[in-house]
Amino acid sequence: MNNIIGNSFVLLSLMTSLTTSFLFFKKNYSHYLKTYIASCIFCFFSFIFLIYCFVISDFYVSAVYQNSHTTKPLIYKIAGSWGNHEGSMLLFICIVALYGFTFCYYSKNFDNKFKYLTVFFQNNLMTIFLIYLFFLSNPFDYVSSDPIQGLGLNPILQDPLLLIHPPFLYFGYIGFSLVLSLVLSGLINNSFDSVWAKLSKKWVIISWIFLTIGILLGSIWAYYELGWGGYWFWDPVENASLMPWILSVALIHSLLIMEKNNTFKSWTALLAISTFALSLFGTFLVRSGILNSVHTFANDPERGLFILGIIILIIFFSLAIYIIKSDFVEKKYNIMFLSKENFLVFNNLFLILFLVIVIIGTVYPIVLSAVANQNISVGPFYYNTILAPFVFIFLFLMGTGPLMKWYKNDFDAKKNLIISIGLISCILALIITYLSSETNIIYILGLIFSFYLIVATIFELFSSKNLLNFKQYLSKNLSHLGFGLLILSITLNSFFSKEYNFMINVNDKYVSDDLEITFEEFNISKEINFDQFSTIFEIKTSDKSFTLSPSIRKYNQPEQLTSEISIKNTLLKDFYLAINYSSIGNKRLIGARYYENFFILGIWISSLIIVLGGFARLFVRK
Amino acid sequence: MSTNTNKRIVIFLISIITFLIISKFLFSALRENTIYFFSPTEVSDLIELPNKKIRIGGMVKKDSISEENKKYNFIITDFNKEISVTYSGILPNLFVEGQGAVVEGNLISRKTFVGTKILAKHDENYMPKEVADSLKKIGNFKRK
Repeated sequence: MNNIIGNSFVLLSLMTSLTTSFLFFKKNYSHYLKTYIASCIFCFFSFIFLIYCFVISDFYVSAVYQNSHTTKPLIYKIAGSWGNHEGSMLLFICIVALYGFTFCYYSKNFDNKFKYLTVFFQNNLMTIFLIYLFFLSNPFDYVSSDPIQGLGLNPILQDPLLLIHPPFLYFGYIGFSLVLSLVLSGLINNSFDSVWAKLSKKWVIISWIFLTIGILLGSIWAYYELGWGGYWFWDPVENASLMPWILSVALIHSLLIMEKNNTFKSWTALLAISTFALSLFGTFLVRSGILNSVHTFANDPERGLFILGIIILIIFFSLAIYIIKSDFVEKKYNIMFLSKENFLVFNNLFLILFLVIVIIGTVYPIVLSAVANQNISVGPFYYNTILAPFVFIFLFLMGTGPLMKWYKNDFDAKKNLIISIGLISCILALIITYLSSETNIIYILGLIFSFYLIVATIFELFSSKNLLNFKQYLSKNLSHLGFGLLILSITLNSFFSKEYNFMINVNDKYVSDDLEITFEEFNISKEINFDQFSTIFEIKTSDKSFTLSPSIRKYNQPEQLTSEISIKNTLLKDFYLAINYSSIGNKRLIGARYYENFFILGIWISSLIIVLGGFARLFVRK
Repeated sequence: MSTNTNKRIVIFLISIITFLIISKFLFSALRENTIYFFSPTEVSDLIELPNKKIRIGGMVKKDSISEENKKYNFIITDFNKEISVTYSGILPNLFVEGQGAVVEGNLISRKTFVGTKILAKHDENYMPKEVADSLKKIGNFKRK
């Protein structure tokens, strides 16, 4: 019964969205927006209904049967509705609809072709994905085998962060669908200019904020819940979310030039198209089963091919419209000139370089495996060694660029300022080097350049002439400051963090340098849907003594182990302990992974400051 | 020649040189940090033993794990060829006999391997992709 209701909502949404396109071609604009809104609302209903099916555990609905279980806490029943491929696709479509819906709401006073065109593209995107959902990945499929109990949700996904991490990423990715619709409609409407840039910027910023928070939440999840022991692993799945993020940052900066000068239109259009294409590509990579990870829900090649088909279709049409309509007469500009706009150009070049580095590292193994049948993996050192020098130059440009003036070559006038900032940052870096007695050259360079950006940004914040000026640059200053602090934290983290892995029996002691770890207790207890193996460890470092109590949960439905980590936080570093459980015959084997992670708090906080910059752009300076 | 053309040539040359330097840098970093994966059959077919770190993978042979003073010995098999592995690091969750595993380390001979890391897996249904691929290659996938 519920299958029919759910399917009806999906079908109604599909029908109304097809009608919307039809009305657009008929130029019947008075009913056009109404049917579009109706189709969005049907789509929301179908998702709400899916959540309802999860809550009442209707196992005749396939998505519920495959991913839920009656013993699961209510909150994870709800989260389970997007913790699977079909449900997450429905959420995906709902967000496409939500962006279109919100756009209609915010532009309700406008009545022009630009608005209708934007809605048209947004609507078509929804149609394509609804067709995919209905025929190939339907969450409301009927389970005919009279199921009494569901198969359960992957325990790794049973975490409060799962409630918000995927929706945030989706809001980020899909926000760029609206940006793409805006670009295409601007191109067709011949209104792709600085006014367009001003209007569209907020949508780019909103999507960017969601994407940044989504990535940050993923990182926090890996650190606290998955027990990976670090904040970033250059895992292909992480890279898949980083790629559109890098491009979206480039897009934000190229929009600045476009808004100011009415130039760089082709480039901006291409960036917007690629950002959404990469967002989809990321979804495809993660969901198709090409990569093996906690994110891979469906190993169905047919679905992968269909999504790949959709991506190619979208890229093809977007590029076709771009090629036909992008005959702009771009203003000539002088590249030898050290003006603000040229620093923004450098910014874009560097970001593209970062993107290429990440894409090659991520895609090369996949291509090699498909073409040469050779399995390889690219280690994190590839990214770290190659990115580091370019990030340093990038930091210098980030600090210097904003000091320059638009159009003018202002470098000579600011030479003394730049030298003084450089000197201050060198002194700061030397003090830290002296205190930490670490003399690696990469470390020192990392300190100097991140301090350069931090000092330059703080100088800018406090040299604002008046409140208006302060507000105008607040968002940029916050995000740049956050980025400087982030690289500083990452540098400190990577040079001081330590990792100890060892197998240990109860009552045994592990000794290394100043560190002494004693395994004091091991207990087994039964909980509702898992068995818990709890442990108590006594840790003695050179100046501290404390206990950590990590545990292992053995879930029964489906059977799986998860590590519950134990952390002692201090301002400077985290003492982090996770355990592994395995066995030979009847013998229990406990492996301990002990980390001393520096400046993790700094990494989270600086990322939040970066995001805060986005909010400042939306609310302080409109 | 006008100064404008001159400038263009300079920019063009600078871009080409930058591009070449970056590509060189990028590909050498890529080559240095690539870890190859081999199945036991592929290892036995190698003409020359690789002198850098590799990954091997297959199923952990039944009744093959033994422990002596926190040193573990076990056999990785693809039901065609076998490699015996010695390992003294930490065992991941659910490292049990009869399951798939991927081990990183160095080959000593075609039959012996010193592991430095066993890669973790997510759940008991999950077979490392490389292992599944290599078993499929020699037609032993269903035998697990």
